[in-house]
Amino acid sequence: MSVIHRLMHPRIIIGGGIVALFALAALLAPVLPLRDPASQALLYSLLPPAWAPGGNPAYLLGTDSLGRDVLAHLVYGARTALYVAVLAATGAMLLGTTLALLAGYFGGWIDWLVARAVDTWMSFPPVVLALILLVGFGAGINNVVLAIIIVDWTRFARVIRSEVIVIRRRDYIAAARLSGFSHLRTLVSEVLPATLPLILTLFSLEMGIAVIVEATLSFVGLSVESNVPAWGVMIADARVYIYQTPWGVMLPVLAIFSLVLAFNLLGDGLRAALDPKLRQRGGVAP
Amino acid sequence: MALVILRLLGWRLLVAIPTVLAVSLLVFIVLRLIPTDPAAMSLPPGATAEDLDRLRTEMGLDLPIASQYLIWLGDLATGQFGTSIFFRRPVADLVAAALPNTLELVISGLVLGVSFGMALGMVLFALRGGMAAQMLDLAGSAIMAIPEFLWGLLLIIVLGVSIPLLPFFGRLDPGLATPDRITGSLMLDAVLTGNIQVLGSALRHMALPAMALAMGLVPLVMRVLRASLLDVAQEDYIRMARLRGLSESRILLRHALRNAVLPTVSLIGVQAGFMFGGTLLIEVIFGYPGLGNLMVDAVRNQDLPVIQTVALVYCVLVLALNAAVEVLYLTINPRLRST
Repeated sequence: MSVIHRLMHPRIIIGGGIVALFALAALLAPVLPLRDPASQALLYSLLPPAWAPGGNPAYLLGTDSLGRDVLAHLVYGARTALYVAVLAATGAMLLGTTLALLAGYFGGWIDWLVARAVDTWMSFPPVVLALILLVGFGAGINNVVLAIIIVDWTRFARVIRSEVIVIRRRDYIAAARLSGFSHLRTLVSEVLPATLPLILTLFSLEMGIAVIVEATLSFVGLSVESNVPAWGVMIADARVYIYQTPWGVMLPVLAIFSLVLAFNLLGDGLRAALDPKLRQRGGVAP
Repeated sequence: MALVILRLLGWRLLVAIPTVLAVSLLVFIVLRLIPTDPAAMSLPPGATAEDLDRLRTEMGLDLPIASQYLIWLGDLATGQFGTSIFFRRPVADLVAAALPNTLELVISGLVLGVSFGMALGMVLFALRGGMAAQMLDLAGSAIMAIPEFLWGLLLIIVLGVSIPLLPFFGRLDPGLATPDRITGSLMLDAVLTGNIQVLGSALRHMALPAMALAMGLVPLVMRVLRASLLDVAQEDYIRMARLRGLSESRILLRHALRNAVLPTVSLIGVQAGFMFGGTLLIEVIFGYPGLGNLMVDAVRNQDLPVIQTVALVYCVLVLALNAAVEVLYLTINPRLRST
């Protein structure tokens, strides 16, 4: 089966499709026919979506407690979520993969160091570490990105390191070394390509995790500046009015759910399509 | 057997020491990055520069960083956790009040999550290959895409507001007095003092937060158990059992499950950090007076003594849960029992 054929996995198509929709909406937000997410209309506060009783067709998904348009907020919130997801997942991937390649390939003290660091990180709830980092760095969206990178590089390092340890014993690696490849060239042109399917899978899952972490931190008020729309902030604001209308909480939860599910489906699909070990088993490991 | 467990626990303790030290160093370094001055924050408005200098000396803030770290470690080792800047109470008291609540929540969530996860894992295995199993598996993916604290909010909307079945704020109904503190655990104390009313109220208040916490665990346990049941089903002794004419349910419960449960047990160890992490925001959402609420309050107010201590308490909790899981693994794994 060709790679293209294998990538036509239903999970990849559905997951990738939803991610693409979100990305498109986020990128095109300024040109889409949306209200200004910051403009308030206090007369029209806490409206339910247009189809619900009491809804106003001018506000398709209703309004929040300050009369701001929920749909516009959701779309602009997707910009925040995807900004964090892409940057944080890329950073965690680069840091984690580099350390994993070095640790798994060379072994010795660097492997010991990376393994101990991973153990230390694992003995700690990730959210707690992220909170502490944000106390140290101060709140703000770029600090959230940095915090996620520092917390989540271990997810890449742990898995890829054990993969590299297996790969480095393969004959073709020895052959590359024997034919005069330097360590660096062997790592980059022989070991790295063999771990790519795994890296891609982890990258997709990590973007989902980053969306959740950003929502969590903006819910606590540590992520974005107050004028930047973010899903976590929307949930925190709407939580107070949960008795008047549950929509304010439901809609951003639904947005987080769809985007994270899409990243997870994409990751699962990539794993099933690209990992030769799983291809025969048919199941998706947790 | 007891000796093996003791040796394991001793070994775990030995390994835990450098880990806790590493975490304490990490926490210390990160918190030193903070731009604000903890001494300035502890002073009332209107304090003079001399007051500030005096307090800085008192708090040891004029010493080199390395000595500050060592002094802090010494304080921790001798049980001096300092005083909260925001609550103006000893950190040890705050932690002692919050810790039992968080433990109750984690244990309730674990019990709920593991029992439902295992039940669904067996259902998934029994229905393997069918449409229903695929739907259940897909539902598992969907459940996992929602973080625990959002499950908390959804449960509040459905079972707290729309159909007001269960309470969703605090630990007890307002007006109920907490029983005398015996163990510090509200539910245990209610049982010990025979206070049925408090126990009932505490259980009802626990239902939604524990469910929210369990939501993250159920799909994982379900999938891991299903996968290991599928592996075990290939084993010769299962075929033998089938040839002996045992019913499928008897094979599953008496023969397959016993061996297949091991990966599920180690999964709980791996998930320990995430379980405690999950309690953090769940406590905030349900106004549940545990470590997570304490931590978030401390973070919002840059209350360094509390942040440092609670962070280390979380680390110790995760290591303890890991050790407990290993002991459990040892006791139920027949292959390790004889060694």
